Amino acid sequence: MRLSTQGFDTSGPPQPGRPHPPGRDGPLGGRLMADQPLEKGRPPSTSAYTSLLAGAQVASALEAEASLRGQAASEDLVVAEVADPSEIGFWRLAVIRFLHHRAATASLVVLLFIVVTSVIIPVFQGDLYRLQDYTHPYTQPFQFHTRAVALPAGLSVTIPWTDHLFGTDDLGRDELARLLRGGRVSLTVGLLAMLGYIIIGGILGALAGYYGGWIDNALMRLTDVIIAMPFILVVVAVTAAFGGVSLTVLVLVIALLGWFEIGRLMRAQFLVLRESEFVQAARALGASDYRIIFRHIVPNSLAPIIVSATLGVSGIILLEAALGFLGYSIPPPEPSWGNLLGSYEEAIALGQTYIVALPALALVTTALCINLVGDGIRDALDPRQR
Amino acid sequence: MTFYVIRRVLIGILLLLFMSVAFFALTRLTPGPPFTTGENPRAHQELIDRRLHNLGLDQPWYTQYPAYLNALVHGNLGDSYVYNQPVSKLLMERVPNSVLLLGVSLIISLLIAIPLGIFAATRQYSKLDTTTSVASYIGISIPSFVLGIFLLLAGAVWLRHATGGVFYFPLFGMHKSDTTSLDDLAWHMVLPVVSLSILSIAGFSRFMRASMLEVLHQDYVRTAKAKGLPARAVNYKHALRNAILPIVTLVALQTPQFVSGAIITEGIFSWPGMGLLAFQATVTRDYPVILGVVMLVAALTVLFNLFADIAYAVVDPRIRY
Repeated sequence: MRLSTQGFDTSGPPQPGRPHPPGRDGPLGGRLMADQPLEKGRPPSTSAYTSLLAGAQVASALEAEASLRGQAASEDLVVAEVADPSEIGFWRLAVIRFLHHRAATASLVVLLFIVVTSVIIPVFQGDLYRLQDYTHPYTQPFQFHTRAVALPAGLSVTIPWTDHLFGTDDLGRDELARLLRGGRVSLTVGLLAMLGYIIIGGILGALAGYYGGWIDNALMRLTDVIIAMPFILVVVAVTAAFGGVSLTVLVLVIALLGWFEIGRLMRAQFLVLRESEFVQAARALGASDYRIIFRHIVPNSLAPIIVSATLGVSGIILLEAALGFLGYSIPPPEPSWGNLLGSYEEAIALGQTYIVALPALALVTTALCINLVGDGIRDALDPRQR
Repeated sequence: MTFYVIRRVLIGILLLLFMSVAFFALTRLTPGPPFTTGENPRAHQELIDRRLHNLGLDQPWYTQYPAYLNALVHGNLGDSYVYNQPVSKLLMERVPNSVLLLGVSLIISLLIAIPLGIFAATRQYSKLDTTTSVASYIGISIPSFVLGIFLLLAGAVWLRHATGGVFYFPLFGMHKSDTTSLDDLAWHMVLPVVSLSILSIAGFSRFMRASMLEVLHQDYVRTAKAKGLPARAVNYKHALRNAILPIVTLVALQTPQFVSGAIITEGIFSWPGMGLLAFQATVTRDYPVILGVVMLVAALTVLFNLFADIAYAVVDPRIRY
């Protein structure tokens, strides 16, 4: 049995705490209210959570009825209503639970901000990220000067202004532009490589878990060894074999070498679900393998995969940064958060700490937000895993 | 059981064979031969060619491979191109350094993380629990090189400025150039060990908390509480024993990684361990060293996984092979 340090138990015996199959027809809502797994240590019915559910219920088709019965009665009502699972879908319930997780919701907002700024702003900045100004290297960040702005009718106002909000680097390039463009590289690699993990790991893990036998054996033994390898080293060696790093090569190599965790998780899900009662029932009814896999097992195995994939994106972003730091990610002048950090020795020696601090902050904030969002998704999809 | 072990050993050997072929081909197929990177730019091409020829590197990889495999089976990992020393000797020098660094950091982080995880789990939703959770979230989100850079900055640069150059941690390596004393070694270990420990404390304490929480919600724990056992006995005698098992497994399975070292931390602090050796070997195309590291780690992994599975069967009579 192998256990990952974060997220789910990725293999081994069936977990006793596995939730009820979260299909639309699964009575998850009822179980949730009955067991109150989200509310350990808190009084059950008066919590904000219940009233949030009440809010959702009110917002749904039952608006008129709920408002008729008034506020006081609505809490009792909720338990009864949610106990009927057809009232509120699994995914909808998950969204409500996610929004209840304040840190996760806040992280999602911050993350969206980072994604939107680093995707949109570089489009309008053109070549700013590589325009060098040798006369102004190491301009300090947040240095404002006053600037007169002419208004119509002969008026003018002076406003604080800065040419380089985050300063400039050793070659006088705008640090903010580099940071934003670097973020685009980091996020692209993170998302695309994760897509690769899900495709490769999902298919191979599912095959190994469902059919077992030699595929399973070979895959698991190979996984043991690959996971023990110093991953960065293997990625560096393989990208070298591709003859140079580009975004495509980087994504391909990371995807080809990193899918093992997802694969193992998928396998564990299939191993457990293959033997579950509802799959046996489907099999007894004469369902084909195809139908069992895609209609019964896959939908029920999604929750941990989604969580692991979310957390995995931050892992890939950190990996890309580590590679960039070592000089094995996208080559300059194209920035990435990793290669922005790569010039740390010079920056520290010259006392220009902000050169290191800004990309580090961007990187850690992004990773932290992704991890918190992943945690929120886990709580939302799989409340018993807390 | 015997049959199972034999089968696993055979699978392990096949796997090692596969790894050796894959990495042998990988290194040989990398464009640009050795001796062209980081070497004297004025070196004569004839000299380089002669050396490549002497090492057989002008042959296609599948012609070279049988000789490598033959040597490997006889325990000969070849000579490093860069150091002109047997790879096995290099590994023998470097492995203890990595094991020392990672071992000390592992012990420290377990000593901190396990109690932290237990306290957080037994006092779920308390201030301590929340603080630990937040701290560990931040901990797992900081990449090792960011932490390394800032420790370097704080421990060596700022501290030195703040104390007027009197008190600071040494930056690089294991020893001052003229000593091998233990306290000098300990002094040099502080920054890299702290850098490695913070990350693993974050991971381990989260893991311990999750594992403990899972056990605490099991029926037998409720039974123990119901029959009136004091909380101490329930938590530490009944629950802890089961909750700590996954962590033991995790640590046991991570042991081979000790040998592969910590590339980035060793790189930042110039710690002469396996990670640094392996990384430099990749940069300089020192094929025998790359393969030596890979094969050593792979062999140890196969071995430790087998041990772990056998240990399970011994400890838990329900598991049969």
